[in-house]
Amino acid sequence: MATTEGQLDGKDGGGEPQIGWRHTFQQVKGDPTARFGLYVIAIATSIAVFSAVDANLSRATMGVYPDYTIGEWLPVLENPERMPPPTEMEPYQPPVFAEGGSWANPLGTDQAGRDYLSRIIYGARVSMAVGFFATFLGLTGGVLIGAVAGYYGGRIDDVLMRFVEIIYSIPALVLVIVFTVFVSGGNPDVIYAVLGVGIATIPVFSRIIRSRVLSVREMDYIEAARAAGVKDRNIIRRHVIPNSFAPVLVYATLQIGFAILIVAGLSFLGYGAQPPTPDWGQMLNHAHGQMHVNPWMSIWPGVAILITIMGFNLFGDGLQDALDPRIDN
Amino acid sequence: MNQNTILSVDGLRTHFYTEQGVVRAVDDISFDVRQGEIVGIVGESGAGKSVATTSILRLIEEPGEIVAGEITYQDTTIVGFDERSDGTLVPKDEMLTNRQMRSQVRGNEIAIIFQDPMESLNPVYTVGNQLQEFIELNRDLSGSAAKKEGIDVLREVGIPEPEARFGDYPHEFSGGMRQRVLIAMALACRPNLIIADEPTTALDVTVEGQILNLVSDLQEEYGTSFIWVTHDMGVVAEICDRVNVMYLGKIVEQGPVDEIFYDTKHPYTKALLESVPRPDRTVDELNPIVGTMPSAIDPPRGCRFHTRCPDAREACREVDPQFVDVSETPDTEHRTACIKYDDVGYWDSVPLEHASEQDTSYIDEDQRPENRDLEQTEGEP
Amino acid sequence: MTLLRYTISRFVQAIPVLIGISFITFVMVNALPGDPVAIMLEGQEVDRETIEAVERRYGLDRPFHERFVTYMLGLVQGDLGYSFHRDMPVSQLMWIRLGPTLMLVFSAFVFALVTAVPLGVLAAKRRNEPTDHVSRLVALVGVSTPSFWIGIMLILIFAVWLGWLPSGRLVYPWRDPAHYGFDGRLELYYQTIRHLLLPMVALGTLQMATIMRIERSSMVESLQEDYVQLARAYGVPERTILRKHAFRAAQLPIITIVGLNLSTALGGAVLIETVFEINGMGRLLIQSIQQLDYQVVMGVTIVLATIFVIGVIITDISYAYVDPRVSYGDRE
Repeated sequence: MATTEGQLDGKDGGGEPQIGWRHTFQQVKGDPTARFGLYVIAIATSIAVFSAVDANLSRATMGVYPDYTIGEWLPVLENPERMPPPTEMEPYQPPVFAEGGSWANPLGTDQAGRDYLSRIIYGARVSMAVGFFATFLGLTGGVLIGAVAGYYGGRIDDVLMRFVEIIYSIPALVLVIVFTVFVSGGNPDVIYAVLGVGIATIPVFSRIIRSRVLSVREMDYIEAARAAGVKDRNIIRRHVIPNSFAPVLVYATLQIGFAILIVAGLSFLGYGAQPPTPDWGQMLNHAHGQMHVNPWMSIWPGVAILITIMGFNLFGDGLQDALDPRIDN
Repeated sequence: MNQNTILSVDGLRTHFYTEQGVVRAVDDISFDVRQGEIVGIVGESGAGKSVATTSILRLIEEPGEIVAGEITYQDTTIVGFDERSDGTLVPKDEMLTNRQMRSQVRGNEIAIIFQDPMESLNPVYTVGNQLQEFIELNRDLSGSAAKKEGIDVLREVGIPEPEARFGDYPHEFSGGMRQRVLIAMALACRPNLIIADEPTTALDVTVEGQILNLVSDLQEEYGTSFIWVTHDMGVVAEICDRVNVMYLGKIVEQGPVDEIFYDTKHPYTKALLESVPRPDRTVDELNPIVGTMPSAIDPPRGCRFHTRCPDAREACREVDPQFVDVSETPDTEHRTACIKYDDVGYWDSVPLEHASEQDTSYIDEDQRPENRDLEQTEGEP
Repeated sequence: MTLLRYTISRFVQAIPVLIGISFITFVMVNALPGDPVAIMLEGQEVDRETIEAVERRYGLDRPFHERFVTYMLGLVQGDLGYSFHRDMPVSQLMWIRLGPTLMLVFSAFVFALVTAVPLGVLAAKRRNEPTDHVSRLVALVGVSTPSFWIGIMLILIFAVWLGWLPSGRLVYPWRDPAHYGFDGRLELYYQTIRHLLLPMVALGTLQMATIMRIERSSMVESLQEDYVQLARAYGVPERTILRKHAFRAAQLPIITIVGLNLSTALGGAVLIETVFEINGMGRLLIQSIQQLDYQVVMGVTIVLATIFVIGVIITDISYAYVDPRVSYGDRE
C-alpha cells in the first residue's frame, strides 16, 4: 500500500482533481456513520486475528473446558499439571435470559454442548478471512484484466470483457457453489470458497478499472509517457492503476461485505467451512433444523453476519462520499 | 420611485449557511425594473447574479435563505420583513404565501429563462408536453387551446414546422432551438416580467446574435419587461436599457446603459469594459481583470473590490463605500459605490502597493480553505 | 434502427455469451476428479463392465472436447442431457422447476419495487429529515442482512410463534384447485398469496434496500436538475414536480439495476427455496449437487444464467423504450 499511497499523493496528476488520502481520511473521520463502520470492522478484524491464540478456541470448536474464562485459563497454561479433566457438556442449553439458561453460556450451547457465544466470536475468523482474501483475489484479477483490456483495447478488450460478462452472467452464489463442490472434487472447503468468490468478484473490479483506464489513457501525460518510450506495462502499473484506485477502494470495501454474504449462504447450504470450524452460515444451517425446538439458535449467527456486513457497508458508503467530488458538503 | 416601476428590490440579502461558513451571495442590493425596459445585471460568475434573480421568484433552497430586504412586485410583497422590538426580523403579514407565489406570481407574472438550454428541458417528456403544461397552469387555456397556443408561440420564436416539432423530445433540438423553446415557454405564459439568466452564454456567437434579435423584436411586440443577467458587456450594450454591475454580492454601479459605457465611474466596471473587445473603441491590447474573485464567505473588508482594484488606496481597505449619485443630469440616476466619489479621504490616501495582485494579507493564509485548494490545483501540470 | 431490430441484435449478441456460459459450466462440472459413474453408483454392487456400459451409453468414454460438442449440439436442440438420478430428461425437469423459481423471483421484484420506489421518493423529498434517516437505516440493514436468515426469522415469527402464515412450500396458481383440496379458484389464489408472502419478502428485502438507495439518490439528483427548477419557476405544484417532472427521469437507473440485480435474486432464490422447501430450480441445484447428478447441475446453472442474460436484455430494451434519448444503434 505504501507505494500506491505515495503515487496517489504525488503530482503525476489524474484525469480529475486528485483527492489526497489525508483529505479522504479527514472526511471519513468527520462522518459518524463511516466512523462507526470502521469501528465495527476493526473489532471484527481484531477478534478474527487475535482469537487464534486464545484458549477459548477449544471451547468454541471442541467444547472441552467450557467453564474457563481467559483469565482463569492463563495460569493453567503455565502449569499444565493443573489441567482439569474435561467437563461434561450439555447440548442445546438455552441462552441466559431464557428459562434454564446460565451465565456460563450466555447464549446457550450448540448440538455438541459447545458455548454458542464463543462459537459466534470465532465465527468471525472464517467470515473475515474469506471476505478479505476473496476480495483481494477478485481485486487483483479484476484490476489486471480491466487494466489490460482497457489499455490495449481492440481484440484483447473484446475477448477479456466477453469473459468477464460470462462470469458475471452466472449468478454469483450458483457459480461459487458449483465451483466449490466440483472443483474440490466433492470435498468442499473454505479455500475453494475463497477461490470461487474471488472469481465471482472479478467482473465488478475489471469493469470499474476498465472504464477508468479508458478515460485515463486519453490523458496527455500518458501520451507523453508513451512518446518518451515508457513501456506499456510500466504505464499501466505506474500511472493507470494508481489513478483508478479511488473507486476500486470503495468497491473493495463494499465487496468484502458481499463476499461474507455469499460465503454465509454457501456455508448455510453446507458447502463452506466444514465442522468443527465455527462459522456463522454453518451454524445457521444446523439452527434451521432446530427452528421449532431451539429457535434462539437461529438468531445470533444472523445478527453477527448483519453487524459485520453493515460495518463494511457503512465504511464503504462513507468512503464513497469522501471520494466523490460531486458531493460537496 | 418611478411610477412605471413594476419590480423593486430593496436591501436584499440572501445568505447560504454552509459548513465552511455563511456565504453572503447577495449582500444588500437594491435595484428596480420599469414597465417595458430591459434591465441588465452584469458581473463575473459567482458575483451573486443568479442568486439575486432566484430570490425574486423565492426559489432559494436549503441551505440558502433570504435574510433581509424587500422585494415588491407591483402592489404585492414578494419578500418583506418587519423588525420586532428585540431586533429580529419576521416576515411581513402581507408577504405572499408559498402557495400564492406559486399560483399568482411564478410563470404568469414573472417567468424565467435559464442559462443552460441543454439542461432546462426534461429529457423524458416532449417539448410540447412541457410547454402545454406551463400554458395550462398559467393561463386560462386548457387542452387543445393550450396546445394551439403553444404551437403559435413556437412559430413566433422562429421554430420551423412547429406542429411537427411540438411532439419532439428535447434531444432532437439543437442548443439554439432549445433556447427558443425556453423563450417560447416564457412568452406563452404572458408574464409581465421575464428574468433571463444568462440565456445565451451556452450558445454559439451566431446563435446568440439571433436570439438577441429575437428577444428585442418580441420585447417590442409584447412590451414585456426583462431582467437580463449576463457576464458579457457586449450583450448589455446590445439590448439593455439600464444596467446593474454586481461584484461579490453587491451592486457597485448602476445607471442607464449609455452612462455606464461612456461615463464609467467604478473601477470594476471599467475593468469589465476593458476586458472585452469593443467595436467603438480601439485599444492596443485587452486588459483582463487580474486575480480571482475572493470568496463570499470572507469578503475583503472595506471595498470588496480593493484586492483587485488598480486604483485601490489605503482608505479602500477601511471604508465600506456607500452608493453615491454621480448623475450629471437629475434624471439619469447614475449611482456608484466607490469612495473616489465620496468625501471620505480617498485622494489623501496612499495607493496600495500590490498594484493589482491578489491581496490576501488581511487574513491568515491557512484559514482560507479555498486558498489551499487553489495552490494545489495551480501546482498541477 | 427500430425497436424490433434492436431487440434481435441484442439477442444475437447474447449467443457467444451463452456459449461461453455453457463452456465454463461444462468445464467446472467436468473438473470433478474420479469417475462420475462410479461415484454415482457408489454403494451399489456393480462390476467394471456395467460401469463401462453406462459410460458408453452416455458417451462418457469419449474425450472432453467431443463430449462438449455433443452437449452443445444437444443444447441447441433443447436437449439438456439426462438425469441419472431422477431418470428423466433434464429439460423436462427444468420445465417443472422453472415455474416456482420465476414466480418467486418475479414476486420478490414486485414487492421490492412497490415498497422501495415510494419510500425512496419520500426519503429524497424529506432529505435529511427523520423520514430520510429511518428509510436509509432500513435500506442499510436490508443490504447487510443475508436473505436466508431473514427467511428463517420470518418463519420463526410468522409461522412458528404467531402461526399466521405457512412456514414453507408454495401453492401454484396454475394447478387444479382440487390438487390441494381447495374449493375453487379464489381459495387457490388466496392460498398462493399466503404461501408466497414470506419467501417473497425474504428474497425481496435485499432488492428493496438496493432499489431504495438508488431511488433516493436518483431522485435527490433529479430534484436538483434545471428542468425541475424551471417547473418550479413556472408555478408547478410540488406534488406534480415529484410525480411528473422529477420522477420519470429518475427511474432510468432503477430499470438498469433491476436487470443487473436479477443475478443476486436468482442466487438468493437457491437459498430461499432451501429455507422454504420450495421445489424450484435452486432446490433442484442443491439436491443434484448432493447427488452429484451433474447433468442436472449443468442444466440448472446454464438455465439460471440464461434467465439473467434474457432479463438484462429485457431491461435494456425497456430502458431504450422509456428513455427517448437512446438511439438503438448506439448501445452495446
